[in-house]
Amino acid sequence: MASSQAGPGTFPKLEILPRGGNPHWTFLRPAKRIESGGDVERFLTSRAYRDIGIFVLQLNRALCPRKLPTGTKTFTLSTPRNDPESVKRLQGLLTRIEAITDEAPPDKGPRRFGNVAFRKWYSLLDERVDGLLKEFLPAGLLKFGGAGGSSEEKGPLVELRAYFLGGFGSSQRLDYGTGHELSFVAFLGCLWKLGAFEGGNSGETSPGEIERSIVLGVLEPYLKVVRRLILTYTLEPAGSHGVWGLDDHSFMPYIFGSAQLTRPITETEAMPLEGSCPGAPKPADIVKAAAVAAHRDDNMYFSAVGFINDVKKGPFWEHSPILFDVSGIKDGWGKINKGMVKMFNAEVLSKFPVVQHFPFGSLFSWDTDPNAVNVPVVRSVHMTNQPIASGVSGSSGSGGVGISAASTSRPMAAPPIAAPWARTGFPPSEVAAPPVPTEFPKGTPGMANNQFAVTKAPWAKN
Amino acid sequence: MVVRKQKICGDIHGQFHDLMELFRVGGDVPDTNYLFMGDFVDRGFYSLESFLLLLCLKVRYPDRMTLIRGNHESRQITTVYGFYDECLRKYGSANVWRYCCDIFDYLALGAIVLGASNTLSPGNDPTTLPAEEDTEIEVCNADGHVMSRFRRQGGRINLIRETQTISPKGAPSSSPPVNGTSSSPSGSAPPAVGAPTNTGPPGSGASGSSGGSVGNPAGAVLCVHGGLSPLIDMVDKIRLLDRKQEVPHEGAMCDLLWSDPDEIDGWGLSPRGAGFLFGADIVKVFNHKNDLSLIARAHQLVMEGFKEMFDASIVTVWSAPNYCYRCGNVAALLELSEDDSGLGIFARSNGDVNRSDGGMGQGAPPRGVLMESDLARKGGGPARRYRVFQAAPQDSRGMPAKKPVADYFL
Repeated sequence: MASSQAGPGTFPKLEILPRGGNPHWTFLRPAKRIESGGDVERFLTSRAYRDIGIFVLQLNRALCPRKLPTGTKTFTLSTPRNDPESVKRLQGLLTRIEAITDEAPPDKGPRRFGNVAFRKWYSLLDERVDGLLKEFLPAGLLKFGGAGGSSEEKGPLVELRAYFLGGFGSSQRLDYGTGHELSFVAFLGCLWKLGAFEGGNSGETSPGEIERSIVLGVLEPYLKVVRRLILTYTLEPAGSHGVWGLDDHSFMPYIFGSAQLTRPITETEAMPLEGSCPGAPKPADIVKAAAVAAHRDDNMYFSAVGFINDVKKGPFWEHSPILFDVSGIKDGWGKINKGMVKMFNAEVLSKFPVVQHFPFGSLFSWDTDPNAVNVPVVRSVHMTNQPIASGVSGSSGSGGVGISAASTSRPMAAPPIAAPWARTGFPPSEVAAPPVPTEFPKGTPGMANNQFAVTKAPWAKN
Repeated sequence: MVVRKQKICGDIHGQFHDLMELFRVGGDVPDTNYLFMGDFVDRGFYSLESFLLLLCLKVRYPDRMTLIRGNHESRQITTVYGFYDECLRKYGSANVWRYCCDIFDYLALGAIVLGASNTLSPGNDPTTLPAEEDTEIEVCNADGHVMSRFRRQGGRINLIRETQTISPKGAPSSSPPVNGTSSSPSGSAPPAVGAPTNTGPPGSGASGSSGGSVGNPAGAVLCVHGGLSPLIDMVDKIRLLDRKQEVPHEGAMCDLLWSDPDEIDGWGLSPRGAGFLFGADIVKVFNHKNDLSLIARAHQLVMEGFKEMFDASIVTVWSAPNYCYRCGNVAALLELSEDDSGLGIFARSNGDVNRSDGGMGQGAPPRGVLMESDLARKGGGPARRYRVFQAAPQDSRGMPAKKPVADYFL
């Protein structure tokens, strides 16, 4: 159903691997590849980067309201859906994951911030993850490919579990951030590639329906589980730079939530670059607590802002100035959605501290995307502060970061990078080259990403 | 080198309104001397305003304001944790950030407070009795009301009036310096290094209130942002560092700004990726060798605002309440009383490189020599008053007139 339903074919979808078409598909234990700031540029030309981008934009477009002969159709969190069995099973999986919280109550004693009981929660998850995935994923899926197509040992479980486990924060650092969220999106992407969402719906489905089920029926419930974890164990925001980031923990709900409110399109139209759906709340409404409360059960953006209002005290414009600025945008949710995609590319996918933990296997591959194009990109002062592998920089010893001149210099030109998937909507240069003034790094490199209460050294190695 | 009564403050992180609250609680400048232990910037909305205010006060009252450098006073860290973005947003150019970073390079790496008294000066709480002679720790709330007191020999003093507790956990839960009764981490100090078990910090000649003849009744207090370095065994070695530079990734200067105390023996690797972890034995040996009664440091969020460790040989002070608008912690400042005996105050300027005899002329014991009387002493250093406060009220902050354009959304 995937590519065949892509309308005129102008809107790429993540490929679904032909089942049985390649019986010798070799799954790989996902491995860390991004060891230095320079590796991020390499990552931006990888197949994994391409696939993440395609998948996110595919989901994004499905959330946009549709023009139908009968009127406008919007897709809110509360709109009744006909979730396929695969999605319902993932909901069951998330329910079971959330229930682990009851087995690992937070420690009561004195503590600094993050609650160490999260380590118990995580170890329970780690113990059970294989069993849970086997229980809730289609049996055939875990025997995909491999020798003779029947061996689970050589199946995709090794890849699925890595991305799945990576989606629930760090037990060592007691934190959760956009890198973990990205890992869960990759888990869903793996399932997509393996055909887990194929043909699940009974009867006719309209285009984008399965994508909407994935976002509204799996990703939002996932975010709810994560929010409970954050509250229960006071997980710290991984890679926080305080008020100067979009959100302490999440990015996806701002992309998909803004898509939900964008100007309606037909199935052949591209994602609008501006405009709002008639009747949608105004962007300025996110600073009004009452409006947020009214819409948080319908819209992912408002749901995320509602969580901020739950955990933060103080004036909204002060503790969330970036979201406050966005609320002043006059060109509607389409404009916001476009900006969020750009910002995601720059602040999540292009940031060493975030993507350094992302592992690469066969489904999200480190191999170079043959179609990746290099375009000039402006490097920000943040990028120049990312660690450089000693072999690359020639510096040695002290962590290999050129700190003196580089860190104070103005942005300098550097080669690389285009977002291949960005060609569908935005000029590559626009996507790949974030404007300098608002580039908000997602924390610093290092084994610890960086916690929020605890500053980590950007030059730290794992 | 600072003498006289000091109010010692920890991380601020751009929480300007809370800094105002701190001054309200602690007293106005220049009537009160302040020592800020770094991390003025990053994460909060008002890093620039906070740093510039402190800097102005330093310029106006150079001998009443002491600013030392935190790990966030660094080019590299501020580009990651918000201060750079804040300056760009507020000014549209990085120049202000650059100038501030140039000033960061001149901040001191540490400070010594001399002449701290071992008896508390009268607080400003009219509703409770004055502190008794042997009161070592007093915790006050933002209005100056005494919340709890601790005796020198350990044990809480019953106040005549029921105190309200503003700390969510009952403020000083982390700070009972009960020497000799609890199984303190000092018990694990290897005997070889001469750190006696179950005594107060070596060198705390001040700690015995009636103790006697051993000169300096008030050991010095070292203030530093992070903690100790394996490369620094004597305070004077800090003076030898060439500090006018970006904070390096390793070495003594880096460690002073990045290290954390931890319940370990000796030195350990820091999960931060910079600096080290250091245990009680390290602190005790260092304090003894340097004739310190206490190390005051910041650098770590503590929910109760302050936390004493290792038999009160080191204290963490945190001055950013409800950190990042959501941590729910209270903040604290540490008040050291001035010793009015005249003893123990000895001036030593930055120029006195390598002069490790410190207070010799004032009758202090020779450094590095463990006095019998020291060994016999119990107690935990100078008298300390913690003023605990909460985030400033938010009602009168106004709202920005317009929303700047966010570049991704142009």
